[in-house]
Amino acid sequence: MNEFPAGSSGHDRDEERIRRLLDEAVSDVEPRDALGSIHARTKVSHMNGMRSWLLGAGAAVVATAATVAAVTVLSDGTTGEGPDEVGPAVAGSPNPSEGTKPSPAEKPSPAESASPNEPPAEETQTVPVYYVGDTSHGPRLYREFHRTPAGEPLRASLERAIAGRGNGPDDPDYRSPWPSGTGLGQASFDGDVVTLSLEPPDGGGESTNLRDRPPGLSEDEAAIAIEQLIYTAQAALQEGRPAVQFLINGQHTDTLLGQPASEPLAQGDAIDVLAQVWIIEPAEGTEVTSPFTVSGLAAAFEANVQWELMQGDTVVKRGFTTAEECCTMAPYSFEVAAAPGDYTLVVHDSDASDGEGFAPWEDTKQVTVLP
Amino acid sequence: MSTAPRWDADTAVDELYAAHYRRLVRLSVLLVRDPETAEEVVQDSFVAMHGRWRTLRDPDKALAYLRQTVVNRSRSVLRHRGVQSRHTPPVLPDHQGADEDALASERRREILDALRDLPTRQREVLALRYYLDLSEADIADALGISRGAVKSHASRGVAALRILLQEAS
Repeated sequence: MNEFPAGSSGHDRDEERIRRLLDEAVSDVEPRDALGSIHARTKVSHMNGMRSWLLGAGAAVVATAATVAAVTVLSDGTTGEGPDEVGPAVAGSPNPSEGTKPSPAEKPSPAESASPNEPPAEETQTVPVYYVGDTSHGPRLYREFHRTPAGEPLRASLERAIAGRGNGPDDPDYRSPWPSGTGLGQASFDGDVVTLSLEPPDGGGESTNLRDRPPGLSEDEAAIAIEQLIYTAQAALQEGRPAVQFLINGQHTDTLLGQPASEPLAQGDAIDVLAQVWIIEPAEGTEVTSPFTVSGLAAAFEANVQWELMQGDTVVKRGFTTAEECCTMAPYSFEVAAAPGDYTLVVHDSDASDGEGFAPWEDTKQVTVLP
Repeated sequence: MSTAPRWDADTAVDELYAAHYRRLVRLSVLLVRDPETAEEVVQDSFVAMHGRWRTLRDPDKALAYLRQTVVNRSRSVLRHRGVQSRHTPPVLPDHQGADEDALASERRREILDALRDLPTRQREVLALRYYLDLSEADIADALGISRGAVKSHASRGVAALRILLQEAS
């Protein structure tokens, strides 16, 4: 084929050819009908939105558009601040511009009666999962997005959260703090409280009965392990910040990993629980072409975000940018151009205390720049 | 937008699906190559659009949002997948068929291969410019880059594609 003969002249002619070529390249693509499965997925959200409204407003019949508008305001009003602005995005993408904003409760539509349409088996979904990473301030939470077979996002997220290597975090710097083999029983939300029942690993003696803190797990880690499941459950549900009632094997327990757990637990403050700098894109181990965009969230002093591209201990490139807001988890992004090769990308906040006191917050990712 | 139709989120999904689903899937195939992945990307984008309808409210905005989401998600799928499927083997026609069919699909494969070899931004700009026929301004919006960058990605992309397809022939 000689579509572009050497020495062909005229940009216009090239453009015309490209137009034809691109059309031709996909002319045989005939997607299967997907409207049904899209409906099935948007309907699930309807039910959630409806439920929170029923609870919030005392319930009546949703009759008019005006009522529907009021509903939306109500469900927004309950959202508040906190991890929601850190952006759980169920059925969303790892794309930070999507992920950093909470997607509001769906508008209930009176026309849709909730029919229990199950999405087809090959469907997948993207769910938020929090993992523990070590920081200069102790163990803290980072968030990843995982693609799982379609299903209950709450269960899918939590199963990933307690899973170890293999099904666990993509970033080797992160981990699940739960004893290997911990299982998930009931995982449900009644509109008010999330109930999670954990199952100790098989043959769990004292060390892994989940009630007591296993040897080798510090108190900080035990506390963050519980926060990890609370944050993950809330992010998966996108129903504000419901408290979580933990059970062991379906039974109430006075402690979980040695932490008090008889009552439903509210989430801890983001500033005490979350790592304050996250890289969202590129994900760990990604291959990119130069230039590539790095984006994430940071709660940085004066909103200053600094970065280095390292090879071993050598800084190949460095730069800084500004997050959209100071001192709360806010989006940042910047572009990096680099020669082909393997790199470690480091993003951190500026050291506000200038050497005396706290080490900076940081997140790192392995990135390969392709030729 | 003056008198946009008063759609709710469900109507928006239905209408935009009817009018644009196939084209968006094809757009995504130009970006990610694999049709199944493309379908998944576009379905996810419709679900996301539905969730965002409250802030979109307008069919044009919703379509722009869909396009942008399809491009972003396609890019993110590629990043996660890396490049192992850089040169996927040709899908042979399943019927012992006309040579013409085989030729045509061989050609399509070549074009998609050539696209795949372009830098991400060039591929995206080419697809939006020459497949969707978007204006430079709309492309700049969709990709979050300047119009100057759109221009230069487009002209470099055209040149690179010419060379790649020459080599392939």
